[in-house]
Amino acid sequence: MRKRFHRLVFCAFCSILIATTASAAQAPKHGGILNATLIEAPPSFSIHEEVTISTVWPMMPCYNNLVIFDPLKKQESLETIIPELAEKWTLQDGGKSLVFFLRKDVKWHDGQPFTSKDVKHTFDTVREAPGITAKLRVNPRQLWYENVESIDASTPDAVVFRLKRPESSLLLMLASGYSPIYPAHIPVSELRSKCVGTGPFKLKEYRQGELIEMVKNPDYFIKGRPYLDGIRYTIIKDRSTRYAALQAGRQDIPFIWEVARMPAEAAKRAVPKLVMIESSTNVNDHILVNLTKPLFKDPKLRLAITLAVDRQGYVQAGRQGAAILGGVMLPRPYGAWGLPEAEQKKIPGFGDPVKQKADAKKLLAELGYGPSKPLKIAVSTRAIPIYVDIAGYIMDQFRQVGIQSTLEQVETGVWHAKMTRREFDVAVSATGIGPDDPDANLYENFKCGSPRNYSAYCSDEVDRMIEQQSQTLERDKRLKLVNEIDKRLQLDGARMMLGWSKEYVAMWPYVKNVVPHQSIYNYGRMQEVWLDK
Amino acid sequence: MLVYIVQRVLTALVTLFGMSVLIFVLLRLVPGDIVDIIFSSAGFVNPAAKVELARELGLDRPIALQYVRWLEELAEGNLGKSYRYDVPAWQVVKPRLPVTLELAILAILIAVVLGVFTGVLSAARQDSALDYALSLLSLAGLSMPSFWLGMMIILFLVSWAGWIPSMVYVSPREDLRAHLLQFVFPALAVGYRGSALIMRITRSSMLEVLGEDYIRTARAKGQREWPVIFGHALRNAILPIITVIGFEFAFMIGGLVVTETVFNLPGVARYLVDAILWRDYPVAQNLVMLIGVAVVVVNLSVDLLYGWLDPRIRYGAT
Repeated sequence: MRKRFHRLVFCAFCSILIATTASAAQAPKHGGILNATLIEAPPSFSIHEEVTISTVWPMMPCYNNLVIFDPLKKQESLETIIPELAEKWTLQDGGKSLVFFLRKDVKWHDGQPFTSKDVKHTFDTVREAPGITAKLRVNPRQLWYENVESIDASTPDAVVFRLKRPESSLLLMLASGYSPIYPAHIPVSELRSKCVGTGPFKLKEYRQGELIEMVKNPDYFIKGRPYLDGIRYTIIKDRSTRYAALQAGRQDIPFIWEVARMPAEAAKRAVPKLVMIESSTNVNDHILVNLTKPLFKDPKLRLAITLAVDRQGYVQAGRQGAAILGGVMLPRPYGAWGLPEAEQKKIPGFGDPVKQKADAKKLLAELGYGPSKPLKIAVSTRAIPIYVDIAGYIMDQFRQVGIQSTLEQVETGVWHAKMTRREFDVAVSATGIGPDDPDANLYENFKCGSPRNYSAYCSDEVDRMIEQQSQTLERDKRLKLVNEIDKRLQLDGARMMLGWSKEYVAMWPYVKNVVPHQSIYNYGRMQEVWLDK
Repeated sequence: MLVYIVQRVLTALVTLFGMSVLIFVLLRLVPGDIVDIIFSSAGFVNPAAKVELARELGLDRPIALQYVRWLEELAEGNLGKSYRYDVPAWQVVKPRLPVTLELAILAILIAVVLGVFTGVLSAARQDSALDYALSLLSLAGLSMPSFWLGMMIILFLVSWAGWIPSMVYVSPREDLRAHLLQFVFPALAVGYRGSALIMRITRSSMLEVLGEDYIRTARAKGQREWPVIFGHALRNAILPIITVIGFEFAFMIGGLVVTETVFNLPGVARYLVDAILWRDYPVAQNLVMLIGVAVVVVNLSVDLLYGWLDPRIRYGAT
């Protein structure tokens, strides 16, 4: 009995010791410089004028939003939005007014106080409100705020977004890394080459094309944050060199859009200490058919094209297993709005590849195409290896049903312009979505007349459904509507979805609290990141 | 000699003018400009804003006027403004020049020392095992692109030593050792390739000279072998070697583009690729022009050196 008691006491002691040690090991440590990586120099520092992660990632630590997605939660949704410059918020007037109550203890990096005027200035500039003098050189996200009627900043610590109609997505867009608050007292043009924010880090040095160095903001309004003393973003253009630098310990974390699975696995094999995190990028691969060309107006032909492509084969051959099948919205478990798997499997192209190929051949024959008169098309894609790989796979799939295709590789500089002008037959492309939200995706990529609706798909009925889901505040109802739209878009061949790529981030285990989200644009603030060294 | 120099300088000037026209026109023949690039990826395009930006950058003017403006600016010593970074182009180029220059000089030094020495050795020991080994070495150098060799060096360092040179430029004043380590590996990668060609030329040129009567005479007079080789043979074999060294140095910039990328050195060569991809005309055309000037100056220097070294050329010209 006594022996058993001693054993029990010993076990309890050991448990307490282990628990204490573990908790001590997990307590965040202050100090240290994080060596982060970029693959190119940001075109400018002005997040509101850019569309690239190369700007958002290194500049997010400099700024704050009104609200932000919780950096420690992988899955982004309305429920994971936390306060930042706004302490709290509320919907009023039946969802037509979004009121933010602002923090009073915030200063810009140059010492000026932050007020509601800064919020109004930022979003009036972005939405190009009448009478606003500040002007963005390029304004990629003006459409996000199309539904904002006016912004009221009559009191310094509150701001009201008055909407034309209720909108469930505005808060999500405001939580994106693309929605920082700019200082009203600094001309927007100056923010292209410097950074004056309220964020946890200040810009210390920028060596063009080489290095961006940030230093801790000692006056940051959240006490005890950030943990790091600074961040050094080194620009390393060559992928092999980036991985070599990571393996050699020169870099602590890779560029967060370093999606390829094989080099990450190779790095992990070479340095087993590295941890590898699998995540989603919120980027989808798809085939575009040019609906302005008479040939592709025939739904039968579009169906034959989509049936020709084995989607599982795309995952294995095109993405080396680093993708999941899905429709127009990011599928679960990474996204919140995707079609359920069972529904997705019913979409043409996602079923039995052998049967589908036979169906495709039959459809082509009905349209008069066959071995003696094959369908001939040009497949355009960006001259980037991953695009070319996928395009190569698609062309092989086409060949198997008798479609003859030729590859046109288009340089990135002219790719988007070519797509916007619809100078293509069939294109293999990829689209990244900011927040995982139907509005952010559907308006930009599928609404009639949108410049990024590259296939020129247009349906009044689908447009109405898009408007309707946007105004539906009840989540379940909205999800149902979004799923209907997703199915409809895929059946119409607006974009022939292939799947959604996954990313593999290999990093050193001592880097804590870098939690990849399903969208790469929203978790670069770095205030929670610390080094366990 | 003066006429010879004037002739060469005039030829160089005409070459530079032709080059400036070619550079200017070719850059604009590439589809798309920076306005396209900035706006096309943005998705939402306001045509008025696009026109305004084109006007702001002077891209709406006729191409001939743009060319004249560029020449005027060059004459004023103004390289224009980088479209991409929105700052004077010189501000972007200036800190990168010493990096590329240092790398090029180090690489050519390695190439010359290695190439001339192994070439002479190979010729002096013709058809020996050493000759075959050195020939093989030079063949390997000719076959391996410098960027591939650079990548192999990096991978070897990381797997063998778990170390690679700094990924951020370290100035010699900051840390001389780190600075040298940062430059020696890329210089080796580029220099080795250059040495291969120099070695081949040195060897064949030396073999030709070593068969001459005056070498036989020198040997017959009882001179020791190495003074004969270096004092008589190499001196007379040097002309084609200098030509190759000149060419190698001038065209080394091309090799540096990828090597700078692989070793993450912030030089002009790497930056040039970025400028072309972004259609940053002021930076791209001035950098290409700069490289062109370097090639012309090196060629001119080689021509003048020829005249100085070989009186037959000098007098032939006069």
